[in-house]
Amino acid sequence: MSEPAVQTLPPTRPRLRQLAATPALRLLLARFPLLVFALLFVYMALGSEFFLEWRNISSILRQSAPDAILAAGLAVVVTAGGDDIVSGGIDISLPAAATLGVGILSDQLVNGRPFVLAMLLAAAAVIAVGLLNAALVVKVGLTPLLATLASWVAVVGTTKWVIDNRRITVDDPLINSVRDGTVLNVPVPAVFALAVLIVLSFWIHRTRFGHRLQASGGNRSAAEISGLNPDYFLARSFVMASLAAVVASVVLTARGSGLSPGIEERLLLDMVLATFVGAAFSFRRVVTVPGAMLGALLVKALGSGFQLLNVDIFKVGMVKGVLILIVVASAALEAGQRR
Amino acid sequence: MTAETPAPSRADSAAPTASQARSAWSRRIFDVVSRYGFVIVFFAFAVFFALRADAFLNPSNLVNILEGNAVLLIAALAMTLVVASGGIDLSIGIAIDFGGWFAIIAMRDYDLTWASALLVGVLAGAAVGVLNAGLIVRLKISPFLATLGTFFIGSSIQQIYTSGGGQVPFREMSESFRSLSTGAVLGVPTEIVIAAVVGVVYFVLLERSVHGKRIHAIGLQRSVASVSGIRVSGYLVFVFVFASATVALSGIILTAGLRQFTPLSGFSYLLDAIAAVFIGASMHPQRRPNVAGTLLGVLFLGVVSNGLNLMGLDFNLRDALEGIILVGALALAFANRNNRARAVSI
Repeated sequence: MSEPAVQTLPPTRPRLRQLAATPALRLLLARFPLLVFALLFVYMALGSEFFLEWRNISSILRQSAPDAILAAGLAVVVTAGGDDIVSGGIDISLPAAATLGVGILSDQLVNGRPFVLAMLLAAAAVIAVGLLNAALVVKVGLTPLLATLASWVAVVGTTKWVIDNRRITVDDPLINSVRDGTVLNVPVPAVFALAVLIVLSFWIHRTRFGHRLQASGGNRSAAEISGLNPDYFLARSFVMASLAAVVASVVLTARGSGLSPGIEERLLLDMVLATFVGAAFSFRRVVTVPGAMLGALLVKALGSGFQLLNVDIFKVGMVKGVLILIVVASAALEAGQRR
Repeated sequence: MTAETPAPSRADSAAPTASQARSAWSRRIFDVVSRYGFVIVFFAFAVFFALRADAFLNPSNLVNILEGNAVLLIAALAMTLVVASGGIDLSIGIAIDFGGWFAIIAMRDYDLTWASALLVGVLAGAAVGVLNAGLIVRLKISPFLATLGTFFIGSSIQQIYTSGGGQVPFREMSESFRSLSTGAVLGVPTEIVIAAVVGVVYFVLLERSVHGKRIHAIGLQRSVASVSGIRVSGYLVFVFVFASATVALSGIILTAGLRQFTPLSGFSYLLDAIAAVFIGASMHPQRRPNVAGTLLGVLFLGVVSNGLNLMGLDFNLRDALEGIILVGALALAFANRNNRARAVSI
């Protein structure tokens, strides 16, 4: 995300940057990702009157809640570890952990276990993954990418083994009420996502702990010199993210009425896409919890809009790919321009 | 383990040298154990499998392991190059797919000879690399996000043109093309020969040439490399294009073996390739990605998977064990190191 762009740019080819330097274009570039989203939404609203109906919007809210919650968890880890994806903080095992939670929860409920007990078991397993990640990164010294990659493989394998790689259909009154229920017309999954947003935003932006966590992610050595222990904050962020994954596993169980094997791959890509697209919505172009969740919502809304316009579902992946490139490229160009 | 402690009656001047010698020795043992901890784990597993599954040490099984992992090795070598340059390539799966897909289309729909089809496949893979390189070098997008975008686009293209992932069979492919996977050169399966040639090329390029040194320099300190007069952009373009062209080769081998192209099948090699590169890096003194280490990483993954298979474990349990062994092995490979694994940082 933050490459030293200026130094490495050969002086003979500054055209792109010169173009970006005129004030009007500069503003356009800074707001380009938002503009793209706005234009797409106007196009969709014109193309289908159903798009802006509350029924559709609440369906989008319902569908995007799990992705948004996972993206929020990832945003916390990225904040604590720094936004260099390969050496900084990242937790790609989150969707796998959430899927493990879905598997255990569904399996236990189907076997007649009371909800509270099933939930506790699922939560314990998901948090254990968070602790494993924290230990691998802080104690063993693996980079977060490598550590969570390894735990992704382990957790996906464990999930397959625990649930025997089969589809589990859950028909539990509580899960059904999460799936279908509304609070003041807002779908319950969206309420869950809102709660996660409030808790995590408050924790990171309004507490001393959160500020220190941001500081250790922003500049590791500076934080160390100021007497902070960046590893401590990174470890805490992995555990916090796994708590978000616990919430996500409830919402996911409701969304799928149980578990369908293999949902974690799609979730992984969407989570990463949402989190880093979300950086475009922050003033400093950094990954934030609200930005990540907004990213998840907008990406889901685009998918839904294309569906309403009868766009081939296979082309939605293409749109996502182009979108991430537009957003990230404009952020990179703008960052290079600002220096 | 410990050398004899110096007797208290000895002259004071002798004591430091003795303890120095001892600490030097223990440090050396410690260094060896921590650097080659992974090799020790590897051999422990090999011995365990040899004892538990009779077929494991069978020469034909050992050849199976090599043959079954040739494709992964080619992909992991390409990933080694990219990681050495300070990047990562999440779109190798797309290049694998495109290689096999375009080669089949070239033969089936355009009646090209197998050699031209091979070229078409490699060029299709290289095109994926050109897109990556353009995004990374021109638009300054970080490699992780650029190749993620490429991954979405490439997957989508495959789904659109195969009606959502339908297989593209070509039963009548020529024997010469098919022998890329099933044939043998002097008794050695062709896949192994191709992987070995790729391995040698990568070894010479990355570790025995000035270009390799420059690529490592870019990976270690990009701005310093740039200031030292290395053409960073040029090298990055080369790295991403060459890596994608290389993995296209493994996609071609896959389609030649199956006589069909299965869309989106390349993705399954991504995580293993990354794991192999980092396992290999853990054994390097400076923890840099290196060709020999990557080879060992691929062999480890292959041996564990093969051994668990031979032990006749349940398919799902095997997947779980493979993952847990990977976590444990990585933890052991990196444990007890004073420097953080961030040295491989990109």
